[in-house]
Amino acid sequence: MIRLSERAWGYVFAGPAFVLVSLIALAPIAAALWLSLRQQLPIFGIDEFVGLGNYLQLWGDDRFWAACRTTLYFTTLSVSAELLLGFGFALLLNHLSDGAGKGLRWAHVMIILPWAIPTVVSAQIWAWLYQPDYGLLNYLLVVAGLTEGAIDWLADPDWAIHAAVVMDVWKTTPFAALLLLAGLKTVPQELYAAARVDGAGAWEQFRRITLPMLMPVVVIVLVFRTMDAVRVFDAVFVLTGGGPGNSTETLSIYAYKTLFQTLQFGYGSALATAMFVLAALLSMLYLALLRRHVQGSA
Amino acid sequence: MMAGLFFILLALTATGCFQAGEVTDHGTIILVFKHGKLSGDERVLPNLLREFERRHPGVVVREELLPASSDQQHQYYAMNLDGGRAPFDLLGIDTIWAQEFAKAGWIAPLDGLLAPAEQEEFFRGPIEAATFNGRLYAVPWYVDAGVLYYRRDLLDRHGLEPPRTWLELVRAAKVVLEAEPTSALTGFVWQGKQYEGLMCVTLEVLRSNGTDLWSGDRDRAEQGLRFLRETIATHRITPLSTSMADEESTRWIFGEGHALFMRNWPYAWSLLQQEGSPVRGKVGVVSLPAFSGFSSAPVLGGWMLAIPNSSTHQEVVGELIRFLTSPDSQRKVAVELGYNPVRRALYADESLLEVRPLLKDLQPILLEARPRPITPYYLLISQAVQPEVSAVVVGRKSPREALDTIKRRVDQIVGEQRVTAVMER
Repeated sequence: MIRLSERAWGYVFAGPAFVLVSLIALAPIAAALWLSLRQQLPIFGIDEFVGLGNYLQLWGDDRFWAACRTTLYFTTLSVSAELLLGFGFALLLNHLSDGAGKGLRWAHVMIILPWAIPTVVSAQIWAWLYQPDYGLLNYLLVVAGLTEGAIDWLADPDWAIHAAVVMDVWKTTPFAALLLLAGLKTVPQELYAAARVDGAGAWEQFRRITLPMLMPVVVIVLVFRTMDAVRVFDAVFVLTGGGPGNSTETLSIYAYKTLFQTLQFGYGSALATAMFVLAALLSMLYLALLRRHVQGSA
Repeated sequence: MMAGLFFILLALTATGCFQAGEVTDHGTIILVFKHGKLSGDERVLPNLLREFERRHPGVVVREELLPASSDQQHQYYAMNLDGGRAPFDLLGIDTIWAQEFAKAGWIAPLDGLLAPAEQEEFFRGPIEAATFNGRLYAVPWYVDAGVLYYRRDLLDRHGLEPPRTWLELVRAAKVVLEAEPTSALTGFVWQGKQYEGLMCVTLEVLRSNGTDLWSGDRDRAEQGLRFLRETIATHRITPLSTSMADEESTRWIFGEGHALFMRNWPYAWSLLQQEGSPVRGKVGVVSLPAFSGFSSAPVLGGWMLAIPNSSTHQEVVGELIRFLTSPDSQRKVAVELGYNPVRRALYADESLLEVRPLLKDLQPILLEARPRPITPYYLLISQAVQPEVSAVVVGRKSPREALDTIKRRVDQIVGEQRVTAVMER
């Protein structure tokens, strides 16, 4: 029997899992990183190490910066709308389940439905809704007298990105709502009871109990949704293909076009890495915020 | 538990992984044929392949379908061919990929398959598009070209002829739109979304003005791009939604009877003419218009057959290509699926024309159809052009500005080519 400390045995037992995770997650990341340091253009017959060359090119690439701006704009708008709406729905659902509970199941199903539809399908549905000549959205707006003529949501470069945001919000608010609802269920009722005894109103209870107790869940929602929004591809690609005039081209669409349509493997990998770094930076920011919040309340 | 997992994996390996060009124990050669799904009756192509197997005992052809989207097919091919060990022996490629795949060394030269004299029997455009450095790398399988669809009933009602020039098209559209104010009718729909379809339309308009995107007369190129924008903004014969339209959405508008003219590929014809279509029997097809003094310049489309360099059965696969592009197979596919043959002689075949009368209208169009720029860097160039033209279409950029950017980008791409050429030497 080999005598190992408990700690060493821990490593031994964790070993297989670690190897598996490395193979599945770390190896492709490492491969992409390695590729991003190479100039690889099969059609030019080029395959060579260029160090940070691709990243230098990235720095001077207007299309890259435009894609960054579009991605961040999309992320900011969609994630904040999803969080706010999701919070609203979560409170509503929580309230419903506290009450008689009639129609609760129905409400749950209704709210979760958009999230269950595959993105490509819902993007296609929205493409029809946005259609200026026979789309439902324009019909409703005109009937309600809100707009004079039909608005071409996707073809107008100013509207197009917002149309994608609306679709994304419709689709992923349920996800935020569900997570937040789960969080709400864990808040001990005694806290509210105690607060009521102390004479706290509804707003005061929300601000002093619900919000602080829910902070960790909020950060989780933010991290998840931000990751997804930074990488957004299918929602926008199906709706607009990045157009008109690149006005909706996000980083992942640019990377996709570079990698798979024009076969610039090295440069495309550098783009993908930049996206990865952006997502990592944002989540570190959130985690730092969470840590400060936890320390602040301790 | 572990044992169970092991057996599952074993079973997967045994059944899931066919190697291309595999030879089984009994000496049977298995050829894997990758291609995008053909529309129409799903038995037609398999029947042809079974016929080939009957003529070549000991050969089995396995068809493996790729998603219909050509972007996804390109992605699949690029990833699998780049490794040098493609899991297939025959592939169907878009005309615009032949140069790229040949330059990358992914597909094998096939000039042994088609002697120059036999190449003459094909349309010239696709043969040119498949020839790289003087050698043939793919054999055309079926062809396409941009055409103008028009509503015969509406033109007749207003005593108008199908337009020969873009100006006539605008005038005709205005006449009809003014005379039919009640209907939800629009004049001219085309593919304006930021994708390959926009590239085709742009080339057709510019070339029909005797110029091109980054070479030729700049003023006429500017006039061409401005025309695209003006159909929407000035003439108002094209709905703004066209700047988001692809082939299917324009076919939908036209098919519902909401458009007078449509630029599209010939595939739309049989769909417009099918039972229950609101425009059945009311549609005509002509050459795309040109600017006055120049001739129509439809862009060539279509698919080709090629063999990956890595295939170990080049000769048998060559036989299969010859079989699929033989007059008999071409006629069968034309009759039963409505795909346009690559062999010119078939367009004079009375028995075929009887079943597919459209081929008579298409022949002159296919003869004048010109490939998109024949260069291995086409996809790079197209990617650089699309956002610029799209910005012009929605009024974000002036035609001159867009043309300047396009020229600069193309020079960059071609400049890189010169650098590599030097390095290769």
